[in-house]
Amino acid sequence: MKNVLKALVALIMLVPGYLLVVNAFKSQDDITGNPFGIPFDRLSISYLTATLSDPNYSLVRAYLVTALFAIAVNVLSLAVSAPAAYVIARGTRVRHRALLGLFLLGLFIPSQVLVIPVIYVLKFLGLMGTVTGFLLYETTLTLPVSMFLYVAYIKTLPRELDEAARVDGAGPIVTFWRVILPLMRPAVATAVVLHTIGVWTDFVNPQIILGPGSALYTVTTSVYAAIGRYSTDFTVVYPNLLMAVAPVLIFFVLLQRNIVSGLTAGATKG
Amino acid sequence: MSHAVLLTPATVMIALFMLAPIALAAYLSFTDWDGLSPNPQSVGWDNYAQLLRDSDVGHAAVVTLIVTVVGTLTCNIAGLGLALLLNGPGRLNGVLRAVVFYPYVIGPIIIGFLWSAILGANGAIAHVLGNAGHSPLPFLSDPTWAVGSIVAVVVWSQFGVNVVLYLAGLQTVPPALHEAARVDGAGRWQTFRSVTWPMLAPSVTVNLVLVLVGLLRVYEIVLALTNGGPAGRTNTFAFLILSESFRTNHLGYGAAQAITLMVVIAALALGLTALRRRAEDAVSA
Repeated sequence: MKNVLKALVALIMLVPGYLLVVNAFKSQDDITGNPFGIPFDRLSISYLTATLSDPNYSLVRAYLVTALFAIAVNVLSLAVSAPAAYVIARGTRVRHRALLGLFLLGLFIPSQVLVIPVIYVLKFLGLMGTVTGFLLYETTLTLPVSMFLYVAYIKTLPRELDEAARVDGAGPIVTFWRVILPLMRPAVATAVVLHTIGVWTDFVNPQIILGPGSALYTVTTSVYAAIGRYSTDFTVVYPNLLMAVAPVLIFFVLLQRNIVSGLTAGATKG
Repeated sequence: MSHAVLLTPATVMIALFMLAPIALAAYLSFTDWDGLSPNPQSVGWDNYAQLLRDSDVGHAAVVTLIVTVVGTLTCNIAGLGLALLLNGPGRLNGVLRAVVFYPYVIGPIIIGFLWSAILGANGAIAHVLGNAGHSPLPFLSDPTWAVGSIVAVVVWSQFGVNVVLYLAGLQTVPPALHEAARVDGAGRWQTFRSVTWPMLAPSVTVNLVLVLVGLLRVYEIVLALTNGGPAGRTNTFAFLILSESFRTNHLGYGAAQAITLMVVIAALALGLTALRRRAEDAVSA
């Protein structure tokens, strides 16, 4: 009974993935004729390579752009949130707790809706449609989770570390940089995993802030642009979707344990 | 002084890109701004009053409510149920955990497109049925079916996260308690009811709030799966806000919708957390 249930769940979860992989190698006739079948003698890799050579939405370029965005957001997020988390975690005053509350409020703000008034702010700053504007907003969206993780983690580090550094004549900045930050590695790893997945799968923000006008596509926006035009041509749909998820699936298989434990920490620390 | 150096960058970012936009939207929600005029006129609560009369908003609210309530319950029941099944050592359990979890890394927009290729009028299931001589099922073309399809796809893509979080929660139940219950002659159901369930109270809170907040803002899956159709019948609230904001120039009204959604999400999340606190206190008592 238990095993029947498990098998059933596995089937429901895996069938869409199976269709995604198999149909990326099939012709339109083979897909519509028998979506679940594998016509071994007629499989072709040409549909996948076509997604790479599409001059309008080059997926190779999109991979590169998205990966650079993910790196930039992670670096920026760590650079601004870890120092602030240190002060808040060590602070004892009401204003420290109030500030943390302000950051955590962001956990409940729907970013898809917030982005509309953000457009006005970006326009005012002259950053609408720019990579800088996009990265600043995307990084801001990571701050609530980062602060949540980092404050909780720093609170577990003994205050004697700070005291010892102070006796040695170090100020808060040096203490943070030399003593605290090197110890934060596990929490940083968790944040990096969550934010990388967040940036890679984000669609609304690059679509709206960078827009079709900037000609700068991430993986999700380029797949959206490619599929939007040919949604009934399955030799475009399946290969594009497979190419979009292939890197994250490899990332997932390699780092599955870290992703799962990171997510658990992200939802329960504090 | 040096504390200020450490605090300022993060505070400025959250102020500029979260608090200022919310304040701006709150201000605009009381005006008739069209996106162009330099001096928007105050209209008092008119936009909010219009919201209550707007049948599109009413319909989107109902769809959002259905998706949220049914989705939250299903994700949590399925998530906890499967976590109980998978709780224990064994390679197979680890593999299954990964199998239910993988949609999380694929992301909602790709999931929406994949399922639309499966459920659509020209999709995989329609062809299988057609080849067998059946007429296709209106998964995405009938309003009622389409809302059901959205709920199903949302649950498919999200409940793996709940499985993982409930598994983590189950790890915190001391094995000694189960042992004690068994010695006292408690059956399986009784052990769950009086030991596992109360000990899981904090996990239940986290899972409920997380899914609730996530589902109230469902957007990408709707965009890729139904694009709000047929005829706007599967518009969720977030979808309506985004599509209206770019189609019309009633930006004051759009801001009122956005503020309403934010207030509803914050109120429900905080309310649910407060309600659950009693159940959690029972554990520590």
